[in-house]
Amino acid sequence: MKTFSKGIHPFYNKELTSGLNIEKIPLSPKLVIPVLQHLGSPSEVIVKKGDDVIIGQLIAKSSGFVSANIHSPVFGKIAKINPKPIVGGRMASHIEIDVDIEKTKNYVWEKQNVDLSKMTSEEILTKIKEAGIVGLGGATFPTHIKYTQPKDKIIDTLVINGAECEPYLTCDHRLMIEKADEILKATEIVSKLLPLKSIIIGIEANKQDAISAFTKILKNYDLPIEVIPLKVKYPQGAEKMLIHATTKRVVPSGKLPLDVGVVVSNVGTLFAIYEAIYFNKPLIERVVTISGDIVKKGGNFLVPIGTPIEHILSQVEVDINKAYKVIFGGPMMGVAVPSLDYSITKGTSGILFFSEKLAKTSEETPCIKCGNCMKACPMNLMPNRLAAFSKAKKWDVIKDNNLYDCMECGSCAFVCPAKIDIVGWIRYAKNYIKSKNL
Amino acid sequence: MDLKKEGFILSSSPHIKAPISTRKIMFLVIITLIPTIVISILYFGSSVLILYITAIISCMITEALIKLIRKQKVTSIFDGSAIVTAILLVMTLPPSIGWQKVALGSFIAIAVAKELFGGLGQNIFNPALVGRAFLAAAYPVSMTTFSKPNTVFPFLADSLSKATPLAAAKFDKVFTDIPSLFFGQVGGCIGETSSLTLILGGLILLIIGVINWRLVFSYLGTVILLTTIFWLKDPQNFASPIFHLFSGGLIIGAFYMATDMVTSPVTNIGNFIFGIGAGLLVVLIRIFGGYPEGVMYSILFMNACTPLINRFTKTKAFGT
Repeated sequence: MKTFSKGIHPFYNKELTSGLNIEKIPLSPKLVIPVLQHLGSPSEVIVKKGDDVIIGQLIAKSSGFVSANIHSPVFGKIAKINPKPIVGGRMASHIEIDVDIEKTKNYVWEKQNVDLSKMTSEEILTKIKEAGIVGLGGATFPTHIKYTQPKDKIIDTLVINGAECEPYLTCDHRLMIEKADEILKATEIVSKLLPLKSIIIGIEANKQDAISAFTKILKNYDLPIEVIPLKVKYPQGAEKMLIHATTKRVVPSGKLPLDVGVVVSNVGTLFAIYEAIYFNKPLIERVVTISGDIVKKGGNFLVPIGTPIEHILSQVEVDINKAYKVIFGGPMMGVAVPSLDYSITKGTSGILFFSEKLAKTSEETPCIKCGNCMKACPMNLMPNRLAAFSKAKKWDVIKDNNLYDCMECGSCAFVCPAKIDIVGWIRYAKNYIKSKNL
Repeated sequence: MDLKKEGFILSSSPHIKAPISTRKIMFLVIITLIPTIVISILYFGSSVLILYITAIISCMITEALIKLIRKQKVTSIFDGSAIVTAILLVMTLPPSIGWQKVALGSFIAIAVAKELFGGLGQNIFNPALVGRAFLAAAYPVSMTTFSKPNTVFPFLADSLSKATPLAAAKFDKVFTDIPSLFFGQVGGCIGETSSLTLILGGLILLIIGVINWRLVFSYLGTVILLTTIFWLKDPQNFASPIFHLFSGGLIIGAFYMATDMVTSPVTNIGNFIFGIGAGLLVVLIRIFGGYPEGVMYSILFMNACTPLINRFTKTKAFGT
């Protein structure tokens, strides 16, 4: 079975939620929407306190080349606009909306009459851009940029990322099972944008139902689509690893997938593209996995962007008093948050609640040079040395040791018997060098 | 009761860790050494047990004292690394050595070879071997006086001489039979004689990946290859490769000493280089040197080369 070299085998715990259908939960009476939900510059707020907003209305607009629009997911009234920390600690304005629950609940997005053959690629790209679509796998890079044909390069391959290698998360898994047809329709759309010779859907082999959901309906599509089952290994879904596993192409250090003629999109992103084109629906909701070792009954929920954690908590069975850690995203690359005062954003694939047992951090002991981290590193780096150089503040040396090739997947720290926070030290080095312009 | 809303633990990802620790690794090594400890007591008597206990106490107390002086956490003495050093040191000493010398050797191993360099993970040389090297220099007579082993396996020929098989081969051209060597019913250091139990323990460590097969096999392979050449040329004067493999400290050296994570290279190629280099040195010393045995020096020499090997065998990052 296809895969990349090295990597790790964490405990997956996906069975907690992988069998649960995507479910809508009752609307939250209040939404809190940060204007920075994507990679790039924050969106510019274009509403003010007291404004009435309708569902799908633009409330913050893209403010630069790498930026994205943000829309109201509901009917309601702007309650306030306040700066607050977003997940990860940066500050950004948050638009708070009092939700008109009845009106929103009864609204139905109408399917449009779409004839793809009559649409130009500019029209399609504009729609994707207007809809505020960003990569939903976690990196949240604005999608329209990815699908804009670069001047001097030919992108001939689309790799659809259905690996979902992060433990616990099952939102992509469920989306593939339940929305396979819509995802394939989206590949028809993006085929209009790029001269694709090959469309590959990469799915880890622990999601056989998702694999067969696609293979069953492939014959309905006149496109060069192939479903490739991938070995169950972390980080199979990392862009460079996925490209290597599915196409044998190697993205050179410091380069992007487009440099080897590939564009990678998460299955959720493609579903969003489908909705934008066929329903004129901007990206205002997403599927989020709620799980963790203290969650008695979690699930995969379709929730409006801006839904506060506390509202979601009221819909699942979890004893929050037993929670010692709350994580946005997966356990390998997700971000821990200090309080419940955060809400779902475009990049939130899951929220995990961990008990004291899982949350407890062990004390760092000296590196015994066992080499486990090197055996795990999918980028073939020497993480132990990077951590040591960072501790010693040897910035020149660390840059010579491929610091920037580290994608912070966490495999090294996962296998470290000395419990060294290798990724933390690597991040420290990157941030330090950046902040001091070294 | 109010619901918890804040005060959650913040830490850098990843938020899950594999259930392994330095302590677990050390205790795994200790467990695999138990068969060898048992057989060494059978061969050389219960006095050997006293030596093991002496070394363990001495190593742990030494480490605790130095941690106190350096104002570091004393609890690190329970991470198992001092115990591994103690057991391995005793295994490389002659059975008749006094407990006082063992205590001193243990002190040197921990204080000089390990803590002076900064403690666990920072040392250049294998602490147990430094302890042994110190004793070999300080007490050359007791370190080369060996005793006859008890007869544990009656089907083997009784050990005739007190001399180690390597000394007998080098100086008298008397080659000990292979079965006696393999089971270890011969004169020699406390824990080095029984290839049987050492290989048993070593294989377990190889299978679970605690020690690097590249180092073990390139080390043993180099010795076998080179001694085969000499043996084929002149079997009267040179011992067979199998003899070399199972005699002296080669097996304990290859499985337990050279593979010490801290003092061996971290890269795959580096492990091959270390193994080949050490194998070459063993054969050079055993055949051309003044000593009958060269395992200790081969490993200490390669320990010294390890930082350099690491530097020159840096991995090539994906996409570069």
